[in-house]
Amino acid sequence: MIDRRLVPHLDWSLIAALLALTLIGLVTIYSVTWDRVAGGPGNEFWMQLYALPVAIGALFLCLLIDYRVLAQRSFFIYAALVAALLYVAYFGAVRGGSRRWIDLGPGNLQPSEFARIALALSLAMFFGDSRRSARSMAELLFSGVIVVVPFYLIMRQPDLGTAATLLPVYLGVVYLAGLRLRWIAIAAVVLALLSPVIWSYGLQDYQRERIEMFIDPSKDPRGAGYQQIQAKITVGSGGLYGKGPLNSTQGGYGFLPVAHNDFVFSVFAEEYGFLGVIVALGLYLFVIVRSLDAATMARDRVGGMLVVAIVSGFGFQVLYNITMSAGLAPVKGLTLPLMSYGGSSLVATLAGFGLILNVRMRRFTN
Amino acid sequence: MLNLSAFEERRTSEGRLVGVRAFFALMFAGLAVVFWILQVLQNAKYEGLADSNYLRTIPLRAPRGVLFDRHGKVLVENRHSFTIAVLREATKDLNQTIQKIADATGVPEPTIREAIERRRREPLFRPLPVIEHASFEQVAAVEVRRRELPEVLVQQVPTRNYPPDRMAAHLFGYVGEIQEAQLAQTEFSELSQGAVIGQAGVERTYNRDLQGVDGDRYVVVNSRGREIDELNEVAPVDGRRLQLTIDYDVQKALEDSFRVGNHNGAAAFLDPNTGEILAMTSLPAFDPNAFAVGINGSAWSRLLTDPLRPLTNRLIQGTYSPGSTFKVVMAVAGLMDGAITPETTFYCPGQATFYGRVFKCLGHHGSLDLRHAIERSCNIYFYNVGQRLGIDAINKYATMLGLTGKTGIDLPNEEPSLVPSTEWARLNRKSAPKWYPGETISVAIGQGAVSVTPMSLATMIATVANGGSLVTPHLVRAVDEGGGWVPRPVATPKYAIHIPPNSMQAIRDGLWAVVNGEAGTARRSKIAGRDVAGKTGTSQLVSLERKAQAARAGMDVRDHGFFVFFAPRDNPEIAGVVFAEHGAHGSDAAYIAKHAIETYFAKRDGLPLPVLVPPGTPAVPAPAVPSRVIAQVPGVRTQASSQ
Repeated sequence: MIDRRLVPHLDWSLIAALLALTLIGLVTIYSVTWDRVAGGPGNEFWMQLYALPVAIGALFLCLLIDYRVLAQRSFFIYAALVAALLYVAYFGAVRGGSRRWIDLGPGNLQPSEFARIALALSLAMFFGDSRRSARSMAELLFSGVIVVVPFYLIMRQPDLGTAATLLPVYLGVVYLAGLRLRWIAIAAVVLALLSPVIWSYGLQDYQRERIEMFIDPSKDPRGAGYQQIQAKITVGSGGLYGKGPLNSTQGGYGFLPVAHNDFVFSVFAEEYGFLGVIVALGLYLFVIVRSLDAATMARDRVGGMLVVAIVSGFGFQVLYNITMSAGLAPVKGLTLPLMSYGGSSLVATLAGFGLILNVRMRRFTN
Repeated sequence: MLNLSAFEERRTSEGRLVGVRAFFALMFAGLAVVFWILQVLQNAKYEGLADSNYLRTIPLRAPRGVLFDRHGKVLVENRHSFTIAVLREATKDLNQTIQKIADATGVPEPTIREAIERRRREPLFRPLPVIEHASFEQVAAVEVRRRELPEVLVQQVPTRNYPPDRMAAHLFGYVGEIQEAQLAQTEFSELSQGAVIGQAGVERTYNRDLQGVDGDRYVVVNSRGREIDELNEVAPVDGRRLQLTIDYDVQKALEDSFRVGNHNGAAAFLDPNTGEILAMTSLPAFDPNAFAVGINGSAWSRLLTDPLRPLTNRLIQGTYSPGSTFKVVMAVAGLMDGAITPETTFYCPGQATFYGRVFKCLGHHGSLDLRHAIERSCNIYFYNVGQRLGIDAINKYATMLGLTGKTGIDLPNEEPSLVPSTEWARLNRKSAPKWYPGETISVAIGQGAVSVTPMSLATMIATVANGGSLVTPHLVRAVDEGGGWVPRPVATPKYAIHIPPNSMQAIRDGLWAVVNGEAGTARRSKIAGRDVAGKTGTSQLVSLERKAQAARAGMDVRDHGFFVFFAPRDNPEIAGVVFAEHGAHGSDAAYIAKHAIETYFAKRDGLPLPVLVPPGTPAVPAPAVPSRVIAQVPGVRTQASSQ
């Protein structure tokens, strides 16, 4: 199926960086979930380990088929996503008050994790193939509808964090498609003016509380402000060299909740210190820049837009999560791609990078 | 707008791609700076916060030293008691926690709240005891709710276990948490808040020996406050064992004797040759066990406001007129000073005039010598002795017999005794700094300005019993510092009178007759074959004129009874005092002493211990004296003291 001549064009260094970050994540999950009584890592570690080959498989699967073929069928992919989200809305498994998962017996599938890929393909097709430009208000609004449907469905789960990751995908594409910077400025002003209205009517109580706590976490050090305070302590106590593997006191002893998930980077920073953080940040930046290279090299607009769409979503989530890990952003249930626990997320993320590799690999193909 | 050339479009998108790159590079650089600030610049601060999250120091209380009696019987030991405590640091809602504990244990909510309120200023990480001395049911009820109440801990604490019935409460004293003022004292400089120290009695005096060294456990706790690892443990060092001079059986007999007669008061029995205290008591007493488990506010204030003052150790903190027991001092002083010889006689017509005032006797004794004067407690005889001696000679011998100042007993807060002197009058009398010779006459029968503790009377009679060598009463025989019993050095006598044998014999004869003679005031306490020698005394609280008035005001105006004794007469091995508060007469005190003296001898000779016969039982031990006769016995009560 795959043309042998394409293999040399595969971006091995990007693959290496992705795997390195995944392994860093695995090691941290191993440490955080370490069970002192049983003397072994927790269930989450094994789940993540089993998800890894599946994710790598997904990555290569996304390489095999020419991205243009996928983009041309993006309507069907998009339709499948909306169907899955609708299915979740009615029949999904409920956990922690949210209906996000499809129960698959041994594991779960979280369709919203794949929304970004589906959206990236659809938007790349929409703007890239038909030579549409984001300079037209009509095009902008129409493409907006493509985003709003899954956004709304995911927000209703409720999972505002994941829904919010769709916005940078959209922004990345329309920015590359020539969106006038003036409009961005206008949108920013309108948003600022509307923010009191959004505060009063657009947010749930717990969301408002989280933002309030972010502004002053000491207001409720046991409740909503707790995670934020503990996140800062976790990171700050790591120092330059870190406490070493399995020596996390904040994550290991449970002072930082969901340390294997949302706050995996805090624990990583605690165990490996500032030096470890620099390595991890470097790897993430490398992944982003290297991927953007693929956008520059892409043989067509669809490829470039696809890459930018995926990278924007990825980069935004990485930035937000790491900022939150340092206790500097309101706590949102937003995982760190590649490192956090979560099989669906890992599979979806690597599948996305499969597409990016796909674009780069086929830059000379016609 | 739609007709952008491909070239222009490519240039735009390339430019924008550069923009995206720059955006991410900038953001990541910003993150690096943020982590640099947190992890490198502010590391120390956050490291401290992280450490205080998971490191806990749990104090391990050292078991206090066990107290034994002189024959090796355990008197005070330690048992494990359970304390239910709240770790406030781990509570989400303190009110809810209190309510849940109350539901589980049945302890009323306000009690728990008060316990927390009382110690609210302590650091949050220290578990606050809310239910001390918890029952097994309460502990079980809390344990099954572990998951629901992770902030509630059950701690095992070694707790003092004192004998039942408040035995020897003032002797043992009690333990309690160190007070803030005490923390500043050098004696307790190594201790910190929350430490338990002896607050009274032997527990206080020998606190340094008894307290041991508290240990610490350094543990790792998780976010729920549950211990998950132990880093280090500094084991507590047990307090040193003490062997007391107390004989359990004599002690018990003495207290039983008080109780059967429904008397309050105080008593001390000691070995006249060494000063070792065989038994001592002060009644009413408190229960030291209540302090051991942390006394609550209301029980404490009840003790403080009790009109019978159960916290006061009457033996060393109450000062009283010794009444006729002081005649023993007069006899010794008269003989030693040469004012009288054993054969000196005085005539008792029932009253006599000294310095222009009439002083009375309770009887009409006729001519009598020292032996008979002691036996019948003749006031006239001792008025004359007092007149011949003068106050300063009386004071001198009283001092050598241990009746002035403190006895030096190894208990805290002893009150000094007073026998006046001209010097005392000069220093203490503001308006007329002068001693009047007439006052000496009252002092001669233990009235007037004489004010002594029962303990000092015990010291006096023990000193007389051993021939004049002043003893220092003490409660500890030996200390185990880890290598077996090490005897405590006995203090060398501060004074030694060396009473000549013929004088000694006269005093012994007189005192023997008090208990064993036909007309003796302590006949009821005669023990066949034991040759108890003693002297009763009655301490008048108010003059007869004021008595009725005071009684109307609700005061208990009944006189106090004293009995000082030693036995056997010729080679004394036990001596002591019994003070019966509002006991009306010294003979009551003497009767209290009897059972304990009998017990002492029975135990010494390996005989079965005597059984206490409750009052009202017809089988009154010999000599059976009808109470009517007792009433006629010339007592020591004297109207002369009402000046």
